[in-house]
Amino acid sequence: MTATLQPVLSADAMVRDAAGRAFDDLAADWFRSEATFPDDAARVRKRQALLNAVAALGFADALASPDAREAWVDAASILRAQARSAAPIDMALLLATGDRLASIAGDPSLYECAADAGLPGNAQAVLALALGRCLQICAALEAALDLSLQYVQDRRQFGRPLARFQAIQHSLAIAAEELAASTALTDLALACMVREGCASARLPGLLDAAALVLGHAIDVVYDASHQAHGAIGFTREYPLHRHSLNLLRWRDDLQRLRGGELRCAERLGDAALQAQGVWSAVTALMQPGDRHD
Amino acid sequence: MNLHFPVFELPAEAQALRREVRAFIAAENRAGLWQRGGDFATHYDPAFSRRLGARGWLGMTWPRRYGGQERSMLERLVLSEELIAANAPIAAHWIADRQSGPLLLRYGSEAQRREFLPRIARGEIFFSIGMSEPDSGSDLASVRTRAVQVDGGWRIDGRKLWTSFAHLNHYAIVLARTGAAGESRHEGLSQFIVDLKAGDLEVRPIVNMAGQREFNEVVFTGSFVPDARLVGEPGNGWRQVTSELAYERSGPERYLSFIRLAEAALQCAGANPSPRLREALGRTSAKLIALRSMSIAVAALLQQGAMPNLEASLIKDLGTAFEREQIGVYRALRSELAPASAEYLSALAETTIYAPSWTLRGGTREILRGIVARGLGMR
Ligand SMILES: Cc1cc2nc3c(=O)[nH]c(=O)nc-3n(C[C@H](O)[C@H](O)[C@H](O)COP(=O)(O)OP(=O)(O)OC[C@H]3O[C@@H](n4cnc5c(N)ncnc54)[C@H](O)[C@@H]3O)c2cc1C
Repeated sequence: MTATLQPVLSADAMVRDAAGRAFDDLAADWFRSEATFPDDAARVRKRQALLNAVAALGFADALASPDAREAWVDAASILRAQARSAAPIDMALLLATGDRLASIAGDPSLYECAADAGLPGNAQAVLALALGRCLQICAALEAALDLSLQYVQDRRQFGRPLARFQAIQHSLAIAAEELAASTALTDLALACMVREGCASARLPGLLDAAALVLGHAIDVVYDASHQAHGAIGFTREYPLHRHSLNLLRWRDDLQRLRGGELRCAERLGDAALQAQGVWSAVTALMQPGDRHD
Repeated sequence: MNLHFPVFELPAEAQALRREVRAFIAAENRAGLWQRGGDFATHYDPAFSRRLGARGWLGMTWPRRYGGQERSMLERLVLSEELIAANAPIAAHWIADRQSGPLLLRYGSEAQRREFLPRIARGEIFFSIGMSEPDSGSDLASVRTRAVQVDGGWRIDGRKLWTSFAHLNHYAIVLARTGAAGESRHEGLSQFIVDLKAGDLEVRPIVNMAGQREFNEVVFTGSFVPDARLVGEPGNGWRQVTSELAYERSGPERYLSFIRLAEAALQCAGANPSPRLREALGRTSAKLIALRSMSIAVAALLQQGAMPNLEASLIKDLGTAFEREQIGVYRALRSELAPASAEYLSALAETTIYAPSWTLRGGTREILRGIVARGLGMR
């Protein structure tokens, strides 16, 4: 295992530098507009842009192969263009770019090595990877839910759109609530990383929390979105499966990067025991720390 | 998706306030002024409310000229969450501070603001919510309590139900029909400040499942309310009542009602905590972080003058579902405690028995999910 980790430690300085700068630009931009995202599209655009930038930062650290560099350069140029333009974001293009990066970096052996090794120089890249996965998961949860909301308007049974049935409304409402919790938590971790850097003492705890909350949200959305779709959602030709399969894969990655779901829970539980209170531990973890820049 | 929960950091003043509140609670506990227990909505202690008022912790976001401190909604959130996490007896002032005061600030006349707000802020007067009726619960627009204009004021006939603490509080803000409902059914409603001690109305007790007298039936038979007690415009009641919702639904009381149970279990962890308990404490923390982050977002949006009703309803449904599920989690862990303390057993019994009210009061689970569904474009 350690053998395959070698390239991880010899990150190409130029790539890392460029990734870092792209990340900083986007982060600054994001923070400026954070207090009031003008609208929905802008929010999605920022999240997507950061998603890829964070992923790129992690991957740049983790990968130095020509293939990865080329993928990253593509991603970075798309990111920069997208982040600057006011035009609606090309989600498909960005998702495809993210996928391409993920498919290179998402080589299971890399995740395993990264998580298993726990090498000091690598720890921060692992956090960046985990956060990148959180961002991707939020985007995919939203995509699965959007698809479902559209589908229940279009599909009619018993003479009316499925959306008119209260059982359907409530099931998708609950799914939306879990999505909202997931994005709120992911954004919090992202804000922590942007403000305090990967060395922030609270970032690991927030990512543990995200691994649990997002992990559960995936169950809820996976269930509700397929249930609302009926059989068509269970096919290879209808696009829901792509989001679903991504979600399942990314959850495995995220939780593996954090050492497994139960470890995340136990670590947070230990923090509560140490603080002698769940509430004390929660407020401490959410309290902004020092900047490490 | 038009759900919007931006990330806000608590400002330094809010962090400083947290330390202050924790020290205050520790001192109150050392002095044995109250016990943990009951439910945030039922732990009624006017003397405690007055002590908060003396510190400037009631109506703290309101303008100084009305007795407020002009502090931010984020500071108010910090104060509320610390009080609730400590199970402090906040029921007396809770409604007045959370929603009646803000309602008067927004829609009340200058005279009403001057008359009521400073006294609320000192913890001298407490308010009830007079919305529900025997035949109008979730379907609030169907209220039948009527107010008819008479010389110098209004004559009210009808019945309000489930009016929490009407037997102890001084005033209720009553929603009544004053005109035709219109097609939307939202027209022709008005709100009145009713003096519960006036004598021309009747407050009848209703004992709740926990054996407590908390809510009441309030019967109006030709009860007189002077013109000066009409809140806002006649006929604008629906808009006014819904403006209370973001305050009512997004706060820490919607996800911390069970916290006493988790803390009690933690205190019984022993020297060698069970992995199952550690896991449960961790899962509780994770969801709390997400909910709290959303709640901070809504407080900040309120501070900016927005009316995030959809976000608030979403938090209430997610938060109260979480609270209820948590009871089962910590009940199952009883055998893992070393050993179960009296506080754990009492917290378990009390949270279990109050739990049904969490997903009813302030908008039922089903109504909240309907609101979220509408926000998603399904209705
Ligand atoms: C402890 C407590 C304190 C309270 N204090 C106050 C107070 O101080 N002042 C005040 O005005 N009110 C108060 N209430 C009343 C509370 O607001 C109502 O209980 C609530 O609005 C629901 O009304 P209801 O009880 O009449 O139930 P109903 O509206 O009759 O509903 C019964 C059930 O049917 C469901 N239901 C109703 N309509 C629909 C629908 N369209 N689709 C699907 N399901 C539906 C509901 O969700 C609920 O589960 C209090 C309630 C409690 C439990």
